[in-house]
Amino acid sequence: MHMRKFLLLSLVLMLAALTSWAQRTVTGRVTDASGNPVSGASIQVQNTRIGTVTKDDGTFSLNVPANGRALTISAVGMTPQDVQIGTRTNLSVSLQSNGGSNLQEVVVVGYGTQQKKAFTGSSSKVNAQQISTLMTPSVDKELAGRAAGVQVTNSSGTVNAPATIRIRGIQSINQSNQPLIIVDGVPIIQGNLSATTNSNALADINPADIESIEVLKDGAALNIYGSRGAAGVIQITTKKGQKGQLRLNYDGFVGFSNVAKKYDLLNADQFVMIANEKSANAANPATAPKAGINPGGVNTDWQDEVLVKNAPVTNHNLSIAGGSNRTTYYLSLNYGSQQGVVKSNWNKTYRIRANIDNEINNFIRIGNNITLSRQENTDQNTGTNSLGGAIASTLRLLPNVSPYDASNPTGFNVNLAANNIPNGPNSQGVDANWFNVAFLLKNNQYYSEQYRIIDNAFIEISPVKGLKLRSQFQYDMLNDYAFQSWDPRHGDGFSAIGYVYNADQNFTNMVWQNYFNYNFSVHSHNFYLTGGYEVTKARTKWLSASGQNVADLFYLQKNLISGSAATPGVGGNFSESGIESFFGRLNYDYRNRYFAQASFRRDGQSSLAPGKQYGNFPGFSVGWRPSEEGFWKNNGFLSNTIGDVKVKASYATVGNPLGGLPYLSTFGTAPYGNLNGIAVNAIGNTDLQWETSKKYDVGLEVGLLKGRVNLTTDWFLNNINNLVLNVPSPLSAGIPGNSIPQNVGTMENRGIEFGVDASIIRNKDFSWNVNVNYSSVHNEMKSLYSIAGTPTKFINNGSYNIIRVGDPVNIIYGYRFAGVNTANGYPMYYKADGSLVLHNIPNGGYYFIKDASDPGTITAANQTSLTFNDRTDLGQAIPTWYGGLTNSLNYKQFGLEFLLRYSGGNKIMNITRQEALLDQSFINNGTEILQRWQKPGDVTNVPKLIYGQGNNINQVGLATSRFVESGNYLRLQNVILTYALSPAVLQRIAGGTIRSVRIYAQGQNLHVWTKYSGADPDNHTTLGLENPGLPPQIRTISFGLNVGF
Amino acid sequence: MASVSVLSCKKVLDVQSYSSITDATAFATADRALLALNGVYDAAQSGGYNGGTEKRGYPFGSANIEQEDVRGEDVINVAAFYQATYQVTHNPSSANAVALWDNTYGMINKANVAIEGFRNAATSGVLTSAVATQYEAECRFLRAMGHHELVVMYARPYLDGNGSQLGVPYRDVANTSGSAVEQLRTIPRPKVSEDYQKILADLDFAETNLPTGTAGTAVNTYRATKAAAIALKMRVKLHMGDYAGVITEGNKLVPATAPYVSPIGGWTLTAAPDGPFNATGGANNSKENIFSVKNDANDAISVNGSLAGQFGPANLGGRGLVAISPIIWNNSGWKCDDKRRTLLYASGTNNINGTSIMTIKYKDFTNKGDWAPQIRYAEVLLTLAEAEARQAAGVSQRAVDLVNAVRNRALANPATDAYTTASFADKVALIKAILLERRIEFLAEGKRWGDISRLSGENNPAYSPGGVPAKASNGTQGAAIYNCGGVFTPTQAAIPYSDYRFIWPIPADEITQNPIIVQNPGY
Repeated sequence: MHMRKFLLLSLVLMLAALTSWAQRTVTGRVTDASGNPVSGASIQVQNTRIGTVTKDDGTFSLNVPANGRALTISAVGMTPQDVQIGTRTNLSVSLQSNGGSNLQEVVVVGYGTQQKKAFTGSSSKVNAQQISTLMTPSVDKELAGRAAGVQVTNSSGTVNAPATIRIRGIQSINQSNQPLIIVDGVPIIQGNLSATTNSNALADINPADIESIEVLKDGAALNIYGSRGAAGVIQITTKKGQKGQLRLNYDGFVGFSNVAKKYDLLNADQFVMIANEKSANAANPATAPKAGINPGGVNTDWQDEVLVKNAPVTNHNLSIAGGSNRTTYYLSLNYGSQQGVVKSNWNKTYRIRANIDNEINNFIRIGNNITLSRQENTDQNTGTNSLGGAIASTLRLLPNVSPYDASNPTGFNVNLAANNIPNGPNSQGVDANWFNVAFLLKNNQYYSEQYRIIDNAFIEISPVKGLKLRSQFQYDMLNDYAFQSWDPRHGDGFSAIGYVYNADQNFTNMVWQNYFNYNFSVHSHNFYLTGGYEVTKARTKWLSASGQNVADLFYLQKNLISGSAATPGVGGNFSESGIESFFGRLNYDYRNRYFAQASFRRDGQSSLAPGKQYGNFPGFSVGWRPSEEGFWKNNGFLSNTIGDVKVKASYATVGNPLGGLPYLSTFGTAPYGNLNGIAVNAIGNTDLQWETSKKYDVGLEVGLLKGRVNLTTDWFLNNINNLVLNVPSPLSAGIPGNSIPQNVGTMENRGIEFGVDASIIRNKDFSWNVNVNYSSVHNEMKSLYSIAGTPTKFINNGSYNIIRVGDPVNIIYGYRFAGVNTANGYPMYYKADGSLVLHNIPNGGYYFIKDASDPGTITAANQTSLTFNDRTDLGQAIPTWYGGLTNSLNYKQFGLEFLLRYSGGNKIMNITRQEALLDQSFINNGTEILQRWQKPGDVTNVPKLIYGQGNNINQVGLATSRFVESGNYLRLQNVILTYALSPAVLQRIAGGTIRSVRIYAQGQNLHVWTKYSGADPDNHTTLGLENPGLPPQIRTISFGLNVGF
Repeated sequence: MASVSVLSCKKVLDVQSYSSITDATAFATADRALLALNGVYDAAQSGGYNGGTEKRGYPFGSANIEQEDVRGEDVINVAAFYQATYQVTHNPSSANAVALWDNTYGMINKANVAIEGFRNAATSGVLTSAVATQYEAECRFLRAMGHHELVVMYARPYLDGNGSQLGVPYRDVANTSGSAVEQLRTIPRPKVSEDYQKILADLDFAETNLPTGTAGTAVNTYRATKAAAIALKMRVKLHMGDYAGVITEGNKLVPATAPYVSPIGGWTLTAAPDGPFNATGGANNSKENIFSVKNDANDAISVNGSLAGQFGPANLGGRGLVAISPIIWNNSGWKCDDKRRTLLYASGTNNINGTSIMTIKYKDFTNKGDWAPQIRYAEVLLTLAEAEARQAAGVSQRAVDLVNAVRNRALANPATDAYTTASFADKVALIKAILLERRIEFLAEGKRWGDISRLSGENNPAYSPGGVPAKASNGTQGAAIYNCGGVFTPTQAAIPYSDYRFIWPIPADEITQNPIIVQNPGY
């Protein structure tokens, strides 16, 4: 009885407890130290999966189960906090900032993440939010200036061309220098892969889907990527849904692009004067061309026929993110369209992403990230010497000739019988028969579409505490379907009587990763273990078809049509490659003070001979946080001013993979007319081994003033040994490609990086944050190979550059220009011994002279020559210093952000000036030619004009100091002004249905400060050459709207 | 995860070459050996430029013809295309000076690799020794022709010091490894005479082992025959000044008296001067074409190198880049009513919308299928004529007959205008007439530089051009300059034979990678 009563009483009490405790609603508000609401903060009931996130006003509401005793509250950039609930139903929580990029964050490393405080490698985080709304189809173009150690060159204003990215300098001569790009843990296909247009495989990743970008730079961070780490790694992590409420976000912008700078070309009158002066000075003025004033007053700037004003850009992103207790999802849709500044240059993107993550039970997680993308690219003939080259031709076509002729059946001013432009008022047409580019842009097509599927599926099992086993498979397929057609009436298609080309390229890359992460602690000793196995198989297939002598214009529209071309042609190929990898990493820390990491990767690649396929890559690093030591913490001054200090050092080896099968000697197809044939096309080297880089890094990270100012600095050294160099063989050996790959040569990069993040002002209404980064990198070729026991000093790389021991790779190498002879207007040069020589243009000979006013004695006895040995170092092709400055200002609902970036130390060989703007043919020129020498006594750097002698006067095909210019610049890259509606206003007008509204205006590439005279100091190849053909850079203004529900 | 089986780990690194046959099996069958032989001819046809894959016709698909003409004075370079060659401004990095050297040695090594393969195939029984020897003979013919082209372009002529000047490396072993390259780096430039000896040795082997062939058949035109080897030997010996040797070789192909039909293979002149250039699609295999390099619609030289494209007038579909010069067109030794002027040349639109005289020897403007004529029976006759004229004490009757054979078919009135021995005051006058006839007959066929080179080297004031002759200035000159028999004053300065620019520079990549090869002086 007693017992029964007791039980009954107990039951009643328990029921009472359940009614009051079983499910209570806890509400609250999260703010920062200044009292501003923190939106998006995660609220999680400890030891459960129950959680939510705060709204824009910082408030939250959460049903807490009976056993829920405490909440963990965390937010990006804030120190997480645990709060005991007790009996409270309303909480007010103030989070402390961790100072932005300080040591509390997480670093996305290979096959896992690490606490930034424990990270002994070197990486840079790029603020993904800042670049998600910028007006480029892909994220690579926006990385410039945003992270120390990352140098990005957008070498033209072509909207669909990938950027050139160099992390800590150039890492290889013949192998890839582009960093490995990893999305959600797995490498993806990258590159400019279309058969007919520019295209960027990275543009299949929508920048708006990117949550974070981490650039891994030193050996400690890269070692886990082994053979593929040499050029650095860019880790992209895409967005995921959060548990709690569904969020819908729309972001859209429209804008307009214009060319940032046009070339200063001669107008019609100036052209007539210059052209006739060239002819008057010609060897035979009587037969030299004559330019005439057009009676109709024609004054054509051919650039206007090619460049667009206010080229539209538009982009729409819609995303839905959310999650239930077990499933989170992020779905997005994108449409983007951007026209380049050249009329025919477009990129259109259609992109879908679905990231789904599901917890099946407490120890199994599965998920799938899928990207579906379609890009359309259109382009133009970008050949630097192509007569139809869109930019190359505009610089040369005659300004006193009209592009149009209403009486011509095509509407364009073209001579249909002879494939040229009529003479206009001139005695002849443009030299070399540059085509009417307006006709070409209207009637020729360069088009491609890319379809992309990246599916990344994983399963993750956590059988015991601290251990995660993950198996992940990615199928990445890029299909490029390309089309090109040339009109038979004029231009490139004329001699072929019309030309159609289609190519279908298919790239697949399959990666299977199996790895574990295991962490455990013994007293204050913390261990983190990672290990695994990965295989990669890549395949490339393509098929092409072409037709010449096309029956009718009708068949040039969309695709090659069977039977429409009298001369058909076909092409195709197949290749594959594989990589097999084993990797492991052990991290150790003791009391958050002492850190050590050892890592290892063993890679096998199919491009090396059997027996030589595997390479081993070890790496080590250590770190120490003196600020965690007792003497520091107990010192009030130290801990208040310099609260956080970490020093670290690393050493690791990484490799650089090889493409193809360079160990094999092979015979390729070599048909002799319609007779099948084969011929040796590669001499292989079965001894070929891995190219290895030894990377050293010493770094210091300092947090000042309680994290308001964070400094990072690194010194690095990268020794590249066993360069896989395509060792040039003498041409007379007749080796295909004139080279055999060998492991010879050493190169080094050394430099420093410096970064500051500072929260300068942090008030309730006003904040000002500054990020500054600076990098310098010095590259030096340390050794090449030997010929008959004698070390080789240099290799020619084309006619403008050499690779020389003791210098940076690919220095520009040529003659020293000594100005223009004041007596006769001919160019002068210095020989290697410093002696002055005159280039006597009429007979092409070189003659010794005393000084700049000595017209020379034109006799055989006084004759000399400029030899190969008279060439000298004219500067280096790659920038040696670069960086950026970002200012972010917020005042109440307004935000202003601007990025200045700078780069320099490099030289640019301005071939556009040499071959076009100052040429001596019957073509148009740049205005610099107006400064030409005209009469004895004139002092100028532009020689006397002589028709037909441009090659001689300008040393076409060679570098001369006359055309080598500094590449230094400072660029106002971005300015973004935003206005966000306040939560109060939103509440009033939308009654809580709309979470956020933000409008913004932005400008991209607004100004460049530079002494470089060309189109843009970024418009150059990796060899530092500017060629006519690269579209000028674009300047874009846009306006956007972001609405969150 | 089912798809994981695709990545069966054992197979990941097991990757084959699917696009290229490996060296292990390239000569494994008789069919593959024939493919390898065709590959050597392909290397003669379709080399690229600046390391590129665009077919620019190096060395013999078109480029040797264009470059050797443009080095001379009988054509005008209309645009910038051939400017460095035309204005004689090559430096060790110049694209054409590099490309000709590069592609010719590329062809030579392919020939050497193939020769090694054929010999091995004969040893292993894959090929009969007769077939292997014939294939080797074809390769050695091309190897000889390649080296002769190089020695003419990059070295001083044989007749300057009887072959004592520096020649070009003679490559006669297969280079298929780094150690072969090391070995080659120990071999300095030979003397010109050593090159000529090896060229002749290759041609002797070729003559012995090549098939007789039949004139007028395609396969015996685009592949080498006995007559081609003999004819090339005549050209080589002419360069050496070995006129007796020329006559010895010539007599194998030319009967003592007309009609001139080769006893070997039956090669002879076509009735009309345009006979060797009249086939549909440019597949010229008339009985006069002894050896041509094949081009066709399937495998043509690009628009930037094809014969029809470069030489042909724009109004017919060419690019009008190389025009005929009034220096030869106005020459009073070329009769105004010569049929060649109308059959093989036309006034047309040049590259810059002007009017020039241009050749229409190459007519396949659409498909660029014109075969590149390398040796015609007319060359055999004129070479033999010159040798006979030089060897004779007085005015050689046979020489007159031989030159007439070529010239008379072009004359409007052969009965009255044909040469007789009385037409020439002395043998010098006859030799000069033969030399002029060569310029006329082979205009736009790339024979001019060879003659400038050997005659400048011979340095006989009676016929020496004394270096690169003065030329018309680069660019268009207008229709008015063409005037048969009229005066034309060239305005681009001559370059004397003694000037370093007379021969091309050895490419910089040769010199730096092979320091034992000394550069031509002045570069």
